[in-house]
Amino acid sequence: MNTHVFILFFNAFLTTLLSSGIVIWILRKQYLPVIRKLEREEEEKQKNIN
Amino acid sequence: MTQVIFFIVLAIYVFAGAIVARFVKTKDDFYVMGERGSTVLIVGTLAATYLSAVTLMGIAGQSYAEGPLVIAALGSFGAWLGTLIAVIYIGRKMKALDCKTMPDFFEKRFKNNTVSIIALIIMIIGLLGYGVIQLIGAGLVLSSVTGISFEWMIILFTVALLVFCALGGMYGVVITDTIMFFTMLAISIIIAPMIMGQATFGEMKALADTIPFYWTIGGAEQRPLGWSISQFLVWILFFACTPALVSRVFPAKNDFVILKAAVIGVFLAPFMQVTVFLAAGGMQVLQPGIQDLDNVMVIGFLEHVPAGLGGIGLAGLMASIMSTASTLFVLTGFALARDLYEHLFGKGKEISEKRSLMLGRYAQVFIAVVVCLIAISRPSAIYWISIYAGSIFAVGWLPTIVGGLEWKRMNSKAATGSMLIATSTFVIIDELARREIITLPVHIDSLMISFAVGVLSLIVIALVTKPTDYELDYYHKMKQTSLSHSTIKSILAEEKGLVKLKKEYRQTMIISVAFIGIAAIVWGYFFIMLGL
Repeated sequence: MNTHVFILFFNAFLTTLLSSGIVIWILRKQYLPVIRKLEREEEEKQKNIN
Repeated sequence: MTQVIFFIVLAIYVFAGAIVARFVKTKDDFYVMGERGSTVLIVGTLAATYLSAVTLMGIAGQSYAEGPLVIAALGSFGAWLGTLIAVIYIGRKMKALDCKTMPDFFEKRFKNNTVSIIALIIMIIGLLGYGVIQLIGAGLVLSSVTGISFEWMIILFTVALLVFCALGGMYGVVITDTIMFFTMLAISIIIAPMIMGQATFGEMKALADTIPFYWTIGGAEQRPLGWSISQFLVWILFFACTPALVSRVFPAKNDFVILKAAVIGVFLAPFMQVTVFLAAGGMQVLQPGIQDLDNVMVIGFLEHVPAGLGGIGLAGLMASIMSTASTLFVLTGFALARDLYEHLFGKGKEISEKRSLMLGRYAQVFIAVVVCLIAISRPSAIYWISIYAGSIFAVGWLPTIVGGLEWKRMNSKAATGSMLIATSTFVIIDELARREIITLPVHIDSLMISFAVGVLSLIVIALVTKPTDYELDYYHKMKQTSLSHSTIKSILAEEKGLVKLKKEYRQTMIISVAFIGIAAIVWGYFFIMLGL
């Protein structure tokens, strides 16, 4: 195995892993709690109507 | 043949730019395309601006001569990470603060004319110097390929850039960038693999037998690891706050577009570069002994792939030049019209929408004429400026921007001091080193020293001075502002808002996960073929 070649392709993969990882983290931290909260409110509203 | 391709491609790009101009009705259309940028458009303009003639000529030539890993393994890796920082950290934060241009941030954060003017001077020198030198280099190569004289080449390019920038503003640049992105993508997914296929991976691997160290990070020249690491640092600092990339997020429709563009764009940056560098290695198999290294890929397009595809390759090369240049020059025009004239000289004066749009267009015409004159006359000073132009953002802006975003004590005095001290240190150290009056430590670049000096001076000045009430207020306001809040608010205001929000969330999540898989397959395949 050529370690030097491995470093190039590992770095290329790592770049995408980092960008996707950061985006997933942002989604789960900044968007998911809001969506969950709104869903709960929606359910409450439905229950009250029923 | 090459001349015919050149004119057809130029006509297509200009025609597209002229059509787009009809959609520019307001000032916001001109500066941030009315913030209507979809994922495809933001990915297109990001990738097209990222990929410049430096990749297709300079680094491709170096990859051909010394080996594809020399720049790609660490230097380009720095550029990929820098792009990620530019989009997802700096660009996203500035977009949340409703910045339409990068100088907007300095204006909003410090409300200080000295800071704004220094930031603008750095921007205009940086963008013009870097843009013009790229245009000259690429113009010379294309002139030799097509037989069109260099002067005419520059005039034709300037006219094309005028159509994109003066008529279409950011709208024109984003749309033409996206069209050009697809021609550049054709190089990476069709032409480069074709060259590699002809060379075969086996023969490419065997190059290490005839050219020792060809498949190492040090390359055939056996460059020391320190050199590669310094390349990494220089490129990551350079890309992290270059306005050309950061400003790509300002036209985006909302946060989800930016997040998706970050994932896709940051995958495409290495994909579009590495395939070209590997194809340059393939050219070493197919046609060893090319002397003019800048021409390696052009020779590949013209002599080693079918004529039609070669034409697309040449179109992609032109696209790489024009898309990067159009972004650099449109931003310079914006800096003149919006940030300098409207914000600084026109303070307190109401400028009508129509007049503002005209002003923006005049600034673009002025920049185009200046660029054309500098490129054709090639004064020696432009070569001197170009040494510092690209990197001036890393030393002049990066410490102030990060300090401004993250530090409560950050103030206009620290910003002024840091920008002036770092940029002057950069030029002085470099000049002294090149005249051999001083010797820099091994593998330490003047950019790194001046960046460290900039950070240090910023910290010291900020600690001994105090922020104004305005700066403190804005800092607290800034910390409570987030792009996700405004995106959620705007989506929920629409009909069936929650359903749309969940759909956007799911789509962005799927793209993020899918690209990890795509990256694993693509890079795994190349590693198996070339590394095992």
